Amino acid sequence: MAEKPLTEQESLLIIQQMINRAKSNFVDTGIGPILWGAVITVCSSVQAIKIYYDLEMPFDIWLLALFALIPQVFISIKERKERKAKGWDDDIMSYVWICFGIGIFVVNFVNNRMDAELNYALSEYTKFSGKGVPNTWSFGTCFLLFVYGFPTIITGAARKQRWMLAGGIFCWTSAIVASFTPTYVDFILMAFAAALSWLIPGIMIRTKYMQQKKGNV
Amino acid sequence: MFKDLDPILHSQLRLAVMSLLIGVKEAEFTFIKDKTGSTAGNLSVQISKLKEAGYVDVVKQFKDNYPQTICKITPQGIEAFETYVKALQTYLPK
Repeated sequence: MAEKPLTEQESLLIIQQMINRAKSNFVDTGIGPILWGAVITVCSSVQAIKIYYDLEMPFDIWLLALFALIPQVFISIKERKERKAKGWDDDIMSYVWICFGIGIFVVNFVNNRMDAELNYALSEYTKFSGKGVPNTWSFGTCFLLFVYGFPTIITGAARKQRWMLAGGIFCWTSAIVASFTPTYVDFILMAFAAALSWLIPGIMIRTKYMQQKKGNV
Repeated sequence: MFKDLDPILHSQLRLAVMSLLIGVKEAEFTFIKDKTGSTAGNLSVQISKLKEAGYVDVVKQFKDNYPQTICKITPQGIEAFETYVKALQTYLPK
């Protein structure tokens, strides 16, 4: 860029071009949403099948989510290293997703505590009375879906990802619907929620990122 | 009525640097160089002028054993940029 006298129109054009170039740097790679979208969709689907067919599995499918943390750490470190500019909302977004992770842990912990304290009594009552009583997990999934919606809606709105925003709204709607449906349906809703909130937007973000990367070469 | 344009900002490369930095929290020197398409020498001179004016902060550090220069717009720089844009608008036909 050479130095020369500027006209007012040229000044405006430079401002516009540079703001757009700065913005284009903040296209996410999409790997994180794809990874988590795929993991939660698979885990929820398997869980739904397991409940519906009353299957026994040699391991807990949700361990997959725990293992997914390992590549996520490497992805985050790599992306941070490659990023040459930091956006105004980068730190806020990180805090939002850290809070989400902690929120999921807390909700799961409470759900497991409820399961340990109440489900035995509920199943005994079902046997005794012959009335079908939903177990605590039937409502536990509602809390999880509600927590899923929070960071998804914030990220979707902040990064102008309409699919993510729609996915977040689907999570919250599903949280209400899941309170009326059997547990296996709750997990089907959860699979759809994860696919709509993260997997599909992730694939779209990745496609955009690859196109931009191709354009820069 | 036409308002005076800040001579520090009314320069192609300095304006480009400020316009880039207004959109980010902070940026590496190489990022600004790539986006503006300028040479390292020229960019270095223009960033020094912006720094002298108090419009940008420059931090030099090491990252993975390589020197790294981080540039960040200051509150004074944001104010100057906003004033410049407002002044620019007075020149445009309504």
